[in-house]
Amino acid sequence: MALEDYRADVLRCSRCSYCKWIPFDHVKSWRFAKGCPSIDYNKFQSYSAAGRLVTGLSLMDGRCDVTDRVIDVAFKCQLCGSCDVACKVCRYDMEPLLALHELRFKLVEEGHTLPQNTPVMEGFRKEHNMLMKPKGQGGKWADGLKVKDLSKEKAEVAFHAGCRSSYDRDLAQVPSVSASILQKAGVDFGILGKAETCCGGRAFHMGYRADFTSAAKHTVKTWTNAGVKTVVTPCADCFHTFRRLYPEVGSQVEVLHMVEFVDRLVKQGKIKLSRPVTMKITYHDPCHLGRQGEPYVPWKGKERKIFGQAVVYDPPRPRYNGAKGVYEPPRNVLKAIPGLELVEMERIKEASWCCGAGGGVREAYPEFSSWTAGERIEEAMSTGAEAIVSACPWCERNFMDAVNAIGGTMKVFDVMDLVQQAI
Amino acid sequence: MAFSKEAYRALEDIVGPDNISDDPALLDTYAFQYLAETVRPNHSRYMPRPVAAIMPCTTEEVQAIVKVCNRYRIKVKAYSTGWYHFVGAIKPEDDTVQLDLRRMDRILEIDEKNMFAVIEPYVICAQLQAEVMKLGLNINIIGAGASTSILASATSLAGWGPSTFWMGSNPDNLLGVEWVTPAGDIVRTGSLGSGDGWFCGEGPGPSVRGVMRGNFGALGGLGVFTKCAIKLVHWPGSSQLDITGTIPAYRLPLQENFRAYTIAIPTWDAWADCFYKIYDNEIGYVFHRQFNLAGADLAGAFWLMYIDPTKTLNDVEQMVKQPEIKKLTDELRISFQLILAGRSVRDIELQDKILDQILAEVGGWKVKRFCEQDMAEFTNLYFARMGHKHLNFVWVGGYMGSWMQGGTPDYVKGYQPIAAAQLARDQKSGLLVQSGGDALMGCGSGVAGGGHMALEQFVCYDPADHDSVDTVIKDMHGATADAVAHGYPPGKEALYLSVGMKDEDLYAARRRAPQPFFRYQWKIKQAFDPNDVGDRMYMTLPPEDETTD
Repeated sequence: MALEDYRADVLRCSRCSYCKWIPFDHVKSWRFAKGCPSIDYNKFQSYSAAGRLVTGLSLMDGRCDVTDRVIDVAFKCQLCGSCDVACKVCRYDMEPLLALHELRFKLVEEGHTLPQNTPVMEGFRKEHNMLMKPKGQGGKWADGLKVKDLSKEKAEVAFHAGCRSSYDRDLAQVPSVSASILQKAGVDFGILGKAETCCGGRAFHMGYRADFTSAAKHTVKTWTNAGVKTVVTPCADCFHTFRRLYPEVGSQVEVLHMVEFVDRLVKQGKIKLSRPVTMKITYHDPCHLGRQGEPYVPWKGKERKIFGQAVVYDPPRPRYNGAKGVYEPPRNVLKAIPGLELVEMERIKEASWCCGAGGGVREAYPEFSSWTAGERIEEAMSTGAEAIVSACPWCERNFMDAVNAIGGTMKVFDVMDLVQQAI
Repeated sequence: MAFSKEAYRALEDIVGPDNISDDPALLDTYAFQYLAETVRPNHSRYMPRPVAAIMPCTTEEVQAIVKVCNRYRIKVKAYSTGWYHFVGAIKPEDDTVQLDLRRMDRILEIDEKNMFAVIEPYVICAQLQAEVMKLGLNINIIGAGASTSILASATSLAGWGPSTFWMGSNPDNLLGVEWVTPAGDIVRTGSLGSGDGWFCGEGPGPSVRGVMRGNFGALGGLGVFTKCAIKLVHWPGSSQLDITGTIPAYRLPLQENFRAYTIAIPTWDAWADCFYKIYDNEIGYVFHRQFNLAGADLAGAFWLMYIDPTKTLNDVEQMVKQPEIKKLTDELRISFQLILAGRSVRDIELQDKILDQILAEVGGWKVKRFCEQDMAEFTNLYFARMGHKHLNFVWVGGYMGSWMQGGTPDYVKGYQPIAAAQLARDQKSGLLVQSGGDALMGCGSGVAGGGHMALEQFVCYDPADHDSVDTVIKDMHGATADAVAHGYPPGKEALYLSVGMKDEDLYAARRRAPQPFFRYQWKIKQAFDPNDVGDRMYMTLPPEDETTD
């Protein structure tokens, strides 16, 4: 696809502003009614999904040039998908999130890149991770674990740690705990360890489509050689990349997030969460596990009109609107832990507020990223919870940094941290 | 006077460099507007590009901006949530500064005892409603829905909605107002103007409601409203909307003191009688002919598709052919929605009995399929929050409203067949959505207690298809012609199309049907906007020898 393929989406945008808010039925207060961090932080109309669509149209029609403002507008957004969900409350013929991606692809392919992204992408190409760290530093979380090495052995289940928790010492326990849980449950699985490369999802979101494709093909080939049929990951970013983006490059593996896997194991009685964890917590839905975590549905078709002018698709187009995101498995797991009190924030599931780390924003716009996380921490605090729990190391890193910046006492956990305490 | 760097710097000094921009791409996002393609050359989706977009955060900043615009003779136009082609620059030859009031987004006060709230322009209906519901109070959410600025609908436009029958319209509910006039003066109206708080719009301080907004509002053409107080009403429901269901088919389970009905009536005469009886008996919390916005031929299939999250518009094509849907479609042809809310179970039981008696008298009935649990809970939520209102655009992204002449139900039923025949005629081209000639919808009443209402024809077209846009424009002209031929004044389409007219054509049209208020408003403009910084959306008619622009 190309930006031009979304021209009709722009022309049919009614500029209703739904993209700026959570679905209105979910609004419970003045304070937590906003859905789009970008427009809330940056204010000008350009920084909404509708504004970005128009920016793309203006560029396509030659009404404007690529200015610093245009680049800022295109990249100062987490691509969290809140706009996409809200838009589709009333529309079946719009794909704002895909169009926002295409705007970035177009700019990057034409050489209009963000200078802040350059070292990150150099690290991705040379070191195969997004944290600009030497690749040898990754995979230390697996030291001492006796698990199969997929670069040498075969296994039907691959455990993919993801580069955030592989290279971030504060989060290294997440893959370590996850692997232990898989072992305890008797799952025959393998890892790539230090040979694990970045899934490429964040490069994709930063606009580097070709780099993503190259990384994806490499990973799919590795899995194929190792006989992998199922991939499990504790990272929501990797999960989304494998589940929604990899099929486009030929992947046919089943993709599960660790919370789905544990939920399954608990229901099957293969692990028991019996030790009380006395704590009041709230759960943050990662965008890439929740509203963007819907199953991939292959589609190739075209627009058709019925009743004169009403737009439909032939064959019917899959509808990604957050309805089938992964919302219940993490909640099921948390609710299965004795002593744990789960209280919900106002914006949850498809209406969740972003952690601020996605879309390259953490790397390129740290202040905006931190503000977005801070907003979520404040929402978590308003519930009376003492901890915010998530299922994505990128969210957790951003929350930890925001708590440090704010100076609060809110604790940050991964679901797997609590599972470990409860086993 | 052309927009100069000096003028830009003067504006920048007021708000700081982060809150003003003249980047062409950024300005295009302000120029891109709903309905632009119906009034602009080559069906462009852009209205004229403003020379700058600026975001003040206080009344004092607004005042300073307006004064700079006076000094440099620049048009100034403010919007809050910003929707419609008339909310920004109108004429390409004018230098217009776009005020985006997004940063003025606070609820300043909720006075529970005296039942009013004080708000800034960028507070939307959903936000204020969520806050006041916690106190057992509610607001009138206008027909355009939960995304709109409540201040804008109260100060600058017609603020009617499905709950107006019970709650009053927002212009009626408007209390104290803070207004920055086009000359840059700050006017505080009603009790606010005498230092007595926000509770009254008509005194003991100055009452200028007629001057600043009149009946329909100045549509942004006469200064900037920076704060207002709005009347709140009783809400007998829970303190928050505890919704269920899967997106987009969210639902609100009915509490024991609520009912959500779709009611069908056998004839339009009986329909009008039914409306009078509802007015006379004072039942109903929300009262609207809403679901017909999907068009009478498609409404049954469309709404049943919509409340099933596994379905898409593709399914409507097959659903309309099913015998039970065909029967439902016919049943819904003369129908409306009614939400009853009782202060107690006994109260709701009484309202139910009264409604049943009214229906027995007019031969009406509750539409069984639309009153079943799934659809009733959806209906309950739809009207409680008005958060699905942009289904106006569901077919293909374009909708334009015509007709909507206000009057008694007998007056309105008179133009129903004319409007239906006119749209059916134009739909035959296949360039409009063929949803049936009757896509008329509107409030049960535009005033509290009933008596005065209107129906708007929903004409759906593809904004990405120039032939379709051409057709909707012709349809709008056709609506005006058919209305006039049958003795009705032009409908709302005339306002929409006038946005693109040349001054001389607009004024000539007004002179053909001279109305005193245009000339009166010209005098108001002379007094309040001596440097002509407001635009012509404040409707005036200059004396012929003064028509220079």
